[in-house]
Amino acid sequence: MSVLVTEKTKVLIQGITGKEGSKAALQMRNYGTKVLAGVTPGKGGYEVSGIPVYNTVSEALDNHPGINTSFIAVPNFAAFGAIEEAINNKIPLINVLTEHIPIADSAKAIALAKQNGVRIVGPSSIGIISPGIGKVGSIGGDDPRGVYSKGNVGIISKSGGMASEVSWILTKNGIGQSTVVGIGGDILVGSSFADLLVDFEKDEQTKAVVLFGEIGGTYEEEAAQLIKSGKFSKKVVAFISGLFAEKLPQGTKLGHAGAIVYGDKGSYKSKITALKAAGVIIAKTPDEIPELLKQQGTSDK
Amino acid sequence: MQLFEFEGKQLFKSCGINVPQSQLLESADQEVTLKLPLVLKAQVLSGKRAQAGGILVVEKMEDLRFKIEELLSKTINNEKVEKVLVEQMVDVGKEYYLSFSYSTATRGPVLTFGKGGTGVEEKGAESFPVDPLNMTLPSTIVEHYVQFTDTITELWEVFTKYDLELAEINPLVVSTTSVIPSISEESSISNGKIATVRQGGPRNDKRVYALDAKVILDDDADFRREIKFPQRNLFGRPPTEAEIEARKIDEGDHRGTAGSVYWDLRDGDIAVIAAGGGGSIVNMDALVTFGGRAANYTEHSGNPPREKLKKLTKIVLGKPGLKGCWFVGGTANFTDIYETLMGFVEGLREIKPKPAYPIVIRRGGPRDQEAFEELKRVGRKEGFDFHIFGRETPMTSTAKIMVELAYGVK
Repeated sequence: MSVLVTEKTKVLIQGITGKEGSKAALQMRNYGTKVLAGVTPGKGGYEVSGIPVYNTVSEALDNHPGINTSFIAVPNFAAFGAIEEAINNKIPLINVLTEHIPIADSAKAIALAKQNGVRIVGPSSIGIISPGIGKVGSIGGDDPRGVYSKGNVGIISKSGGMASEVSWILTKNGIGQSTVVGIGGDILVGSSFADLLVDFEKDEQTKAVVLFGEIGGTYEEEAAQLIKSGKFSKKVVAFISGLFAEKLPQGTKLGHAGAIVYGDKGSYKSKITALKAAGVIIAKTPDEIPELLKQQGTSDK
Repeated sequence: MQLFEFEGKQLFKSCGINVPQSQLLESADQEVTLKLPLVLKAQVLSGKRAQAGGILVVEKMEDLRFKIEELLSKTINNEKVEKVLVEQMVDVGKEYYLSFSYSTATRGPVLTFGKGGTGVEEKGAESFPVDPLNMTLPSTIVEHYVQFTDTITELWEVFTKYDLELAEINPLVVSTTSVIPSISEESSISNGKIATVRQGGPRNDKRVYALDAKVILDDDADFRREIKFPQRNLFGRPPTEAEIEARKIDEGDHRGTAGSVYWDLRDGDIAVIAAGGGGSIVNMDALVTFGGRAANYTEHSGNPPREKLKKLTKIVLGKPGLKGCWFVGGTANFTDIYETLMGFVEGLREIKPKPAYPIVIRRGGPRDQEAFEELKRVGRKEGFDFHIFGRETPMTSTAKIMVELAYGVK
């Protein structure tokens, strides 16, 4: 098995007629993922690469009741409306690619998802891939086959580019992945490291997990707490970036909204200390990760 | 973006929060019409303003002018004082701290309340998670601090109406000279619902004042915020020409980003064009570790078109005294490597004098092989000192290569 994306995944794409939506639609389909329908208000009746487009989510669900995942690739000003629509229609997994969503909208979307018992991965998520099974989102681009390979290491990453880079480093060293999840680098995210560790704990295929974190926020510390409490018992290797950014004046904005440090909160040191105390192995560069996994005896080899 | 105190107070006032009467001065020649005693406050963004001498009290009229001049000649934590806020002094009883912000721990807004002044966290300020779909006041506050419920409700309005990341009042004070008789407490206790507090009819307690304002705007909501604020100095200096030019690249063009995040760094001599919000930071960490001095920080992501990279390259390499250029990124998911690298080449061709320094390129992703073939051809034909690496070479190891080539050391 894998987590989030399995053989049963059936996808709806909200924003399917847009540039990223239409591109991802084709990519997902080429990778063997079942993309049943798309939604763009006002474009109902059209098709994108043979995928039918509807005006609303409920219309799409009426015609394709099997849909269990929505991939959202709409502009930031329309994102809350799109997420709300997916939540109201009780789609259990909502993966949000959209970047630069106002934080107030993210907060409302996350609260609404919680109320309705559905899950958001993102915003600013590159997507989710279970190598050899399927993918949701832009993760892996046109052809994930060279970079991602099937195996038993899970990856959770704040950065989309680094999800891909770390997977490639593992693949190059003969270590495959169970599921790779881009959780996004925003301040507020629908699914945190800790949330996903709970899923990876239950997943038999996954023997170890790599966390790619960065300065800012408390998601890495939260993961450390979960691991320390014993609720995640498999091996974890973590890499934390942002030492350089800490040398910049406080409050300096970088590309990831969440990568911002005020005072000691969310600092590199705080994260490393917490993770080490939980028994997590820290990689100093991404290239060390395969070796550290192999030392733990948890890789494929 | 952080606001100056006087800007933050404008937002506070617009939602009914009491602030002292004030005037904003840019010169000591402007007439002050407020009555003594007065407080003069340097308008700077850095914290610890009071400790740095940025706040002065004026009790005698003859002191006013030179104290204003004193503040306007000051530099506080590298920030030149350009404006002074003159405020009517308020007789302060107790000081409190009040803020709304977002917490990664509760993944939503939080209200923080406690004793005010400096070192709020040590004084045990308490944070209460707030439901963004239906804000209700925490019962502790309704029960024990009823006189602040209006201000809290108003600050929530400021926080949500203007799309803020932080709305902070420190100190929030109760003036000892009451302006309006205090409200009757029982009428305000009403299940903590905002609407009910309002409908309950008690007038705002006019003795409660916000003496300071710290406000951070959510830049991602700029598109829908009706009130606009001018760009401010960061790093204690005005934005450089390159920073201003770089920001313009993304304006009105949502296809990927290139230039929205661009900072000139002091004393650097290696130009950096990094890709990806996460990878860029990883690579900068590596460059610093190997002793490289970055001339700038910039990242591009989300498949920006060729023109954007061309413009960005011209800005990044437009600096004098460069010893190297590092174009670096991980293995892209969907950014077209051919397009972005060709944009780089087009920008590079326009740099005068023609760069003779080493240019290290490490990239992977869609169409990377095609891009490398073309780069090799361009390098040979046009005489650029390209050092090209693909996904088989660890990204961070090219930081070392860059440093060695640029500084001629091993």
